[in-house]
Amino acid sequence: MMTDAQATIDDMRARAETELGAAGTMDDLTAWERAYLGAQGEVTLFLRGLASLPANQRPIAGRGGNALKNELTAAWEARRVVLSAADLQQRLANDAVDVTLPGRQPILGASHPVSRMIDELSEIFALMGFQTVFGPEVETAHYNFDVLNIPKDHPARDVWDTFYVDLPGEIVLRTHTSPMQGRVMERQDPPVRVVVPGRVYRYEAQDASHEWMLHQLEGLAVDRNITLADLKGVLSEMARQLFGPDRRTRFRCDFFPFVEPGVDFAVDCAICGGAGCRVCKGTGWLEMGGAGMVHPNVLRNVGYDPDVYSGFAFGLGIERLIMMRSGVDDIRAFAANDLRFLRQFARAA
Amino acid sequence: MKVPLRWLNEFVDTGLPLKDLTHRLTMAGLEAEKITAIGDEWDNIYVGHVEAVEPHPDADRLVLATVDAGEHRLRVVTGAPNIAQDQMVALALAGARLIDGHADGQVYRTLKPSAIRGIRSEGMVCSEKELGISEEHEGIMVLEADAPKGAPLADWLGDTVIEFEITPNLVHNFSILGIAREAGALTDRPVSHPLIFDFAAAPSGPSDLVTVEAADICPRYIGVRIEHIAIAPSPAWMQRRLLAAGVRPISSIVDITNYVMLEYGQPLHAFDADKLTDGRIVVRRARPGETLETLDHQIRQLDGQMLVIADAENPVGLAGVIGGLDSEIHDGTTRIILESANFDMKVTRRTARELKLRTEASARFERGLDPNLSRDAAARATRLILDLCPGATVSGFIDVYPNPLEPRPMSMPFSEIERLLGVRYEPAQVLDVLRRLGFSPELDGEGNDATLRVTIPTWRGDVTQAADMVEEVARVIGYAALPERLPSGETAPVQRDSAYAMRRAVRSVLAGSGAWETVTYVTVSDDDLRRLDPNGEQTAGVHPVSWDALIRLRNPLHADRDILRPTLLPSLLAIASDNLKHERGVRLFETARIYLPSDEELPREVNTLALVLAGERAPLDRFEAGASSPLDVFDVKGMVEALLPRLGVSGTQFERIESPALHPGRAVGLFVKDELIGIIGELRPDRAEAFAIETPRVAVAEIDLDALQSVANPIPRDVSAPRFLPVEQDFAIVVAEETPGGDVEAALLAGAGPLATGITLFDIYRGPQIGDNRKSLAFRVTFTAPDRALTDAELGKVRDRIARTLRQRVAGELRT
Repeated sequence: MMTDAQATIDDMRARAETELGAAGTMDDLTAWERAYLGAQGEVTLFLRGLASLPANQRPIAGRGGNALKNELTAAWEARRVVLSAADLQQRLANDAVDVTLPGRQPILGASHPVSRMIDELSEIFALMGFQTVFGPEVETAHYNFDVLNIPKDHPARDVWDTFYVDLPGEIVLRTHTSPMQGRVMERQDPPVRVVVPGRVYRYEAQDASHEWMLHQLEGLAVDRNITLADLKGVLSEMARQLFGPDRRTRFRCDFFPFVEPGVDFAVDCAICGGAGCRVCKGTGWLEMGGAGMVHPNVLRNVGYDPDVYSGFAFGLGIERLIMMRSGVDDIRAFAANDLRFLRQFARAA
Repeated sequence: MKVPLRWLNEFVDTGLPLKDLTHRLTMAGLEAEKITAIGDEWDNIYVGHVEAVEPHPDADRLVLATVDAGEHRLRVVTGAPNIAQDQMVALALAGARLIDGHADGQVYRTLKPSAIRGIRSEGMVCSEKELGISEEHEGIMVLEADAPKGAPLADWLGDTVIEFEITPNLVHNFSILGIAREAGALTDRPVSHPLIFDFAAAPSGPSDLVTVEAADICPRYIGVRIEHIAIAPSPAWMQRRLLAAGVRPISSIVDITNYVMLEYGQPLHAFDADKLTDGRIVVRRARPGETLETLDHQIRQLDGQMLVIADAENPVGLAGVIGGLDSEIHDGTTRIILESANFDMKVTRRTARELKLRTEASARFERGLDPNLSRDAAARATRLILDLCPGATVSGFIDVYPNPLEPRPMSMPFSEIERLLGVRYEPAQVLDVLRRLGFSPELDGEGNDATLRVTIPTWRGDVTQAADMVEEVARVIGYAALPERLPSGETAPVQRDSAYAMRRAVRSVLAGSGAWETVTYVTVSDDDLRRLDPNGEQTAGVHPVSWDALIRLRNPLHADRDILRPTLLPSLLAIASDNLKHERGVRLFETARIYLPSDEELPREVNTLALVLAGERAPLDRFEAGASSPLDVFDVKGMVEALLPRLGVSGTQFERIESPALHPGRAVGLFVKDELIGIIGELRPDRAEAFAIETPRVAVAEIDLDALQSVANPIPRDVSAPRFLPVEQDFAIVVAEETPGGDVEAALLAGAGPLATGITLFDIYRGPQIGDNRKSLAFRVTFTAPDRALTDAELGKVRDRIARTLRQRVAGELRT
């Protein structure tokens, strides 16, 4: 009988080892495991049947059976490692795609270049302590002109070709963002540091360099001891932030009724490096806007004492800055909103 | 103002090359906008002497002229009627580039020898048009007798014209002499003056030659009576300078008045004395009902605020603006009265504006001319008339100037310069600058307490206070010399603008959702608004406005587009229509103001968002077969639904609405409590057609961002870190077909209570299993508790409550 149990074990081992060697897939391996080691497997049933064996055979059958179980389990594990690696390789091979094909792109839009430039300037000036505020686009002549030292019947008013709104009083589409100078100063005491972006309107015919609706960004700083040197510093810093660290700025005398001294400021043309080209009309300089020290009459008009306080103000043309930086040659493209134009500006900030 | 360089150089020699001169002037405030060279193109053109003129053997109208230009001696064929022996002319040789005299505009041709009616012509005698000097092409240009024979024409006639921008404050630079004075001050060089007549040598009076009745608006009037004049063309040199400066030559007297105006900046006028009743000048306000036919042949209606120059009876000129036709200088004029006067700037400006008549004269007077300029200009013109009109004599002279303007003293702390410029200049440097500018400066005291005293010349009406003087110092030393620094001291209080922050958030979310921001014009036409609603009494849009309350421009650029838009939709739809010509689908938005009537002085400007979606939803790709389905109401509504939580908006509801522009079955309103703050839907097909949009559907939205802001909260509160897994449960709810899905969802959420943290409608089923006129909505709800794992028992109770709520609110049954 002793031979019987041992023979059974040997037979199981021989068959199990042969079949395991023949198992070529994970499915084969699973079937093999079920056949020998599973709950109804041959080895499991053999061990479970030990009790029915004659007492003298039980130790041999028990030891031998358990040894076989351990052997087969180890062999199964080794085989499983081999086969699962092969199986993974197979799956990867089957899954391969042509990754040079285009992916599924999310549909993305973008902000308008004018908005992006305003955002960028707002951030640059915030770093220098300027708060961004907004004002009405439909404005009284009082704030648009009178407070700004541009009296009625003065030729200075002609510089701003004006749209008049059909409302009682003298109501205009603001011709610049400067009316907010008066509004801001009237509602707070110095120190003042604000920038005011927004739409402005000029009654003039449209062409590649003229547009009746534009965007500006006004800047205003008023305090004791604000000087023209501070204005130069702030505008030069802005130009470097916007156009790069190597840009040079040019400040020259110009006239605006609400500043004295008055300033016109330009940046050297990045396209020709200042040598003169089509974009800068041969001058080597691109004008960025007007500026100056807040006129004492303006300070008086808002109740500030011009002998105590001084300030500077500037106005930047948003479209112009974009045109200068990106080489746009037709200002009308901004309001045309052709997606083929807008797409060229779509960069993440 | 156009300044011929040779004219300028008569008065000042700056010693600077042209480029440096224009740079200095530009930096100091007198911007050289354009520089044009006259004669740059004149290669192979020489000053020639006409030796002989013979008839052409085969043509009556042509002549053969022999022209000697030194090295070149040619016979040319010409049809010029004015050619004559002994003239000095411009002779063009083969190879010269000339403007075609017979062509319209400036068409350049290169001259080649040719045969005209059988006679070989080696060159050409040029007209002014052929040389680009003027439009004149009737005859050839005849040069002065002293023109140097054989010299290149460019050496004799060539010039450079600098065009300066004269800003409104620079009336003192609105002349050749004014610019010469500025150039002299900047370079510290002396300025010379032209030869003038001495009125002391002329008979004074008669006293009634000039009567100034309106002395309050005519501070000065000089009348000079000159007799024995014979009108002739002005000399060639004067004509050329006038042309270079942009003024058309007419005849000697008129040309002289224009020449002196350009030279001095003082407008002058000459009246034919024999056309003035009683030969007198009366300066007075116009009388009601008076008219005047002006030089431009227009009959002008005058009013009592206008200043006129009259004779004993009638107006003969509009002071400072334009002369009258009757008293105009004509070929037979022999006696003139020359006017050199000063008129009130506001009155001149008003008259010019009322009559829409801007002239060289009014442009100068309305900027405030120095009355002390009048006499020198009159003396200069008189001198030129006497020099150029042989036999002319001065027979009368009156200068009405009751209150002569004196130079004004001004003093200021010397420290003011440093306070405004941020740099301390040496007193000597400052005094030198101001001396050169004519301010006769003096310094009292030393250091910070020093007082700067100046005398402001009468021509500098623009300088009235310390800041003006500081600018004078800064602009001459140069802004480039100022240091650069950042403002120091106490910083101003800074606060973020929450409306701007929200607009940025809106733009960011929508751009991330595939939409492109646009910036469109703020005006619309009645037609634009009528495209949204052809018949309504109010405009369509989130905030309807009565047609008669629309805010309009008085002077629109395009006559029909005069309305400040009460809705963004028409502008955005027009842009969509344009883009759909080359795009298969568009998603566009704009955040801008709309303008609503208000009780205040100014309209109410409301920050508004508009969206337009039309065309194919997705671009053609290999993942989805066939063409994409069209964008529709659920695309735009979904975009809004995605946007609202990103803005922290809560407490809004969507409800069906009717809105005139929108498809009645595809329109939904966004409400805060009972207030409509947004309209969302598809355009009615007929409205879309009116905008020339041909996509099957046009989805739009317009939302009041200011109202949205009042329920937005950008800062999330009570945020917890998740610790427990969520549980998802599906609910299929059968309701009557007409029950709005939104109500079912609301009831489901109400029943679910705060444990429901997410909900998705994933199927709508209709079919025999649930009966006719019924539908089954399948929702997946996510349940989460922040502080515990949810148990089956707890969720069972929630499910019971949901079933109850659905029954009560929407007569819905939970399917199991």
